[in-house]
Amino acid sequence: MKLEVGYIDITDIQFSDKASLQDGVLYVDRDAITAMILEDERIRAVELDIAKPGESVRITPVKDVIEPRVKVEGPGEIFPGVLSKVQTVGSGRTHVLRGAAVVTTGKIVGFQEGIIDMTGLGAEYTPFSKTFNLVANFTPVDGLTAHDYENALRLAGLKMAKALGELGREVEPNEVKTYEHLPVMQGAEKYPELPRVGYVQMLQSQGLMHDTYVYGVDMKQSLTTMISPTEVLDGAIISGNCVSACDKNTTYHHLNNPVIHDLFEAHGKTLNFAAMIITNENVYLADKERSSDWTAKLVEYLDLDGVIISQEGFGNPDTDLIMNCKKIEAVGTRTVIITDEYAGRDGTSQSLADADASADAVVTGGNANQVVVLPKLDKVIGTLDYVDKIAGGFENNLQEDGSIVVELQAITGATNELGFNRLSAR
Amino acid sequence: MSLKEGAALDKLITNNPLAAKDFADRCAVEYADVSLRDILVRVRDYVHKGHKLLTHPLSGSIKPGETPYKSILVSAAPGQGLDLPSLRIIEDSIVTCDKFPIKYPHIPEHVLADFQEVDRTLIAGALYKHSSSK
Amino acid sequence: MGKLKVLHYINQFYAGIGGEEMADVAPELREGAMGPGLAFNSGYGDEAEITHTIVCGDSFFNERLDEAKELILDMVKSVKPDLFVAGPAFNAGRYGVACATIAYEVLSQLGIPVLTGMYEENPGVDMFRDKLYIVATRNSAAGMRDAVSKMVPLSLKLARGETIGASAEEGYHPTGVRVNFFEKERGSKRAVKMLLKKMAGKPFTTEFPMPDFDRVPPNPAVKDITKATVALVTSGGIVPKGNPDRIESSSASKYGEYDITGVMDLTAETYETAHGGYDPLYANQDADRVLPVDILREFEAQGKIGKLHNKFYTTVGNGTAVKSSKVFAEEFSRKLVNDGVDVVILTST
Repeated sequence: MKLEVGYIDITDIQFSDKASLQDGVLYVDRDAITAMILEDERIRAVELDIAKPGESVRITPVKDVIEPRVKVEGPGEIFPGVLSKVQTVGSGRTHVLRGAAVVTTGKIVGFQEGIIDMTGLGAEYTPFSKTFNLVANFTPVDGLTAHDYENALRLAGLKMAKALGELGREVEPNEVKTYEHLPVMQGAEKYPELPRVGYVQMLQSQGLMHDTYVYGVDMKQSLTTMISPTEVLDGAIISGNCVSACDKNTTYHHLNNPVIHDLFEAHGKTLNFAAMIITNENVYLADKERSSDWTAKLVEYLDLDGVIISQEGFGNPDTDLIMNCKKIEAVGTRTVIITDEYAGRDGTSQSLADADASADAVVTGGNANQVVVLPKLDKVIGTLDYVDKIAGGFENNLQEDGSIVVELQAITGATNELGFNRLSAR
Repeated sequence: MSLKEGAALDKLITNNPLAAKDFADRCAVEYADVSLRDILVRVRDYVHKGHKLLTHPLSGSIKPGETPYKSILVSAAPGQGLDLPSLRIIEDSIVTCDKFPIKYPHIPEHVLADFQEVDRTLIAGALYKHSSSK
Repeated sequence: MGKLKVLHYINQFYAGIGGEEMADVAPELREGAMGPGLAFNSGYGDEAEITHTIVCGDSFFNERLDEAKELILDMVKSVKPDLFVAGPAFNAGRYGVACATIAYEVLSQLGIPVLTGMYEENPGVDMFRDKLYIVATRNSAAGMRDAVSKMVPLSLKLARGETIGASAEEGYHPTGVRVNFFEKERGSKRAVKMLLKKMAGKPFTTEFPMPDFDRVPPNPAVKDITKATVALVTSGGIVPKGNPDRIESSSASKYGEYDITGVMDLTAETYETAHGGYDPLYANQDADRVLPVDILREFEAQGKIGKLHNKFYTTVGNGTAVKSSKVFAEEFSRKLVNDGVDVVILTST
């Protein structure tokens, strides 16, 4: 599968009477977007706002972040099985509005999380302080259940991203990259001397606010399976996860999965990026056993020399991670795992909820319990009502001077377990 | 999905009144108005008696210390001896739980309801998917 | 701010007094810098200066520990430095232990910032890594320049009370406390590089070492417990009242062997715990709660076990180095085997 990705660099975002993308400036028609969102009767109101890098703006509680993309050539459309019919994506050509993002916020439950600060200390920890963000703050109709609201919000964000992406269809990209994922035998023939490397991505799949969808399928209903990494770049995996802000994968993370990117970078030079396997993180222990058995089985069938395993979320996924690692090592394939840590505020607690000696190569996204003081910012998009309730916030953590004391946990993407950031710990 | 005739129901150890109510017909519910940690300890006691842990005690990404609720499934009957993987997981979970201080001693009613709902759906996902394959 | 005053600790070898044959020399305080101190001083430039050097023989320090500590602490008090630097000791075991031990004394007794440096396999690292910063050096003095180049900036930061970065940034041996910092490359890139190394069988460094697992396969079941000689071993610190061997309440350096011939029951008058890591009340009330002599005597009388061994072995598990525990166990395991013990019941707290 061969996918050309054209990156259009976005240098500014503005509201305008007419939607367009010119010279890197994204002009957003606020009324048209609003009307599109309100077509969903479950949403009573939406406020659109813009947040740019360096502005004194805090966005919270963040539900999802999505990058605008558009399928220019090839089968299927962006977010297949969700916004468009189920059709295999991942080949042809896709345009990306690089540097732009849709950020959705809304109170789904009475505790919620996810802070994006566009400036100050907090901005150093979230990748979305560097993007030009169109922020949508939603209000549901009365009596909407949490499940329906989560669903409505998820779809609205994807629709917005798709609508913005559409503006880049005819634009000449600043950079075009080609990603090619070869059939197994072809790859082996083409690179006989290179180690065969796979990527095992673990997807959060537990229930309300903890789900991930692949071509629209709730991943907890699936067995471990395979996917072409180029499909992921076309939005085959989307996030329905809005708990544990620091180490959940937003849809933006999936679209820009850094493991996929860096394996492609090395592909054909130092390794052969032979396969991508996706597996789930279910609550049931029998599921964990079954899914990790299948992961190891697929790794063995594919004759992989090494895999990178990435995790998502806190606590019980540690068990999936260790099971995957242990079983894959046991079939003779080398592993590196990417995780993050909950080592306590003083850094002295045991970092993971599970461990095994076979996990001898670990990359960490840092200690999520580290405490940071975020300064008062001029403008809040969303609401601070829940900052207290954010994972990683403290009761009464709003200081008199307007600053807030939180753990890194509260910051969207801070300790990402795909290895999206430079943050680490020793 | 109907349950097998006469099959003993798995035990749901919970401090979540919503889960206790909703799953009363699918599990042998043991409800107690106790802390999250106490639920973990009760489950450990069952594991000591030979019951197998069926769901992960750290289900969900909401940290102990944030949500007060926890529902955990253990096998209906004690097995032959101690299930060591179950023991290891429940003990590691208690250790992890102890890392997280209780953040919100006073949680408003509507937030409690939301925490109950999230905990309920974590178990629902496991229960409804598996009851058919028992 | 004027120059910071630094006191440097080195052994007889680096002071140019001599090798092993001179290792008995007593601590001595000299003015100015000498040996490796000269390299430190050029590194410190205008920021700091080694004004005094303490020289001590490695044998003297390790064999006359209490005396050495006292003498050296008095010297430090007389100099009143802003910073205490020891070594670097590279892979010299006794020198490394001396550097780390005295540095820790200076830090904990006098509150003066300290720094030492040595090779990762130097026993001083495992003994003190969680107590003070120990810079990672190469395994021989050929790594002096590299060691000094790491120790100079870190020691200045310590002396000024500045925030210390992660071990990977500052070059010290990980202390067990996890510290966040920004790497040069993102995690996914680091993962790809680590995997390439691992697949090629080249050395790589994990960013999070798994907790140390030392899993021991269980022995086969005892054939007939009613004929077996059963011994008790504990890390719960149960000792005869008064703790005759002075087993430390934490980080124990020894174990005790005590005869329980004829002892039917441990009472508050006869036994207690030396352990400093748990509430001792219940153990002191009735030490059988930790070391169940009473029950085993009953079992012995009822014929449920063959007999209770007449000696028990005890130490304090609290913060005791795994290495020390292994040494203790190897020693008393041999004694147990020689005494014909079939079964050992290990109790903790």
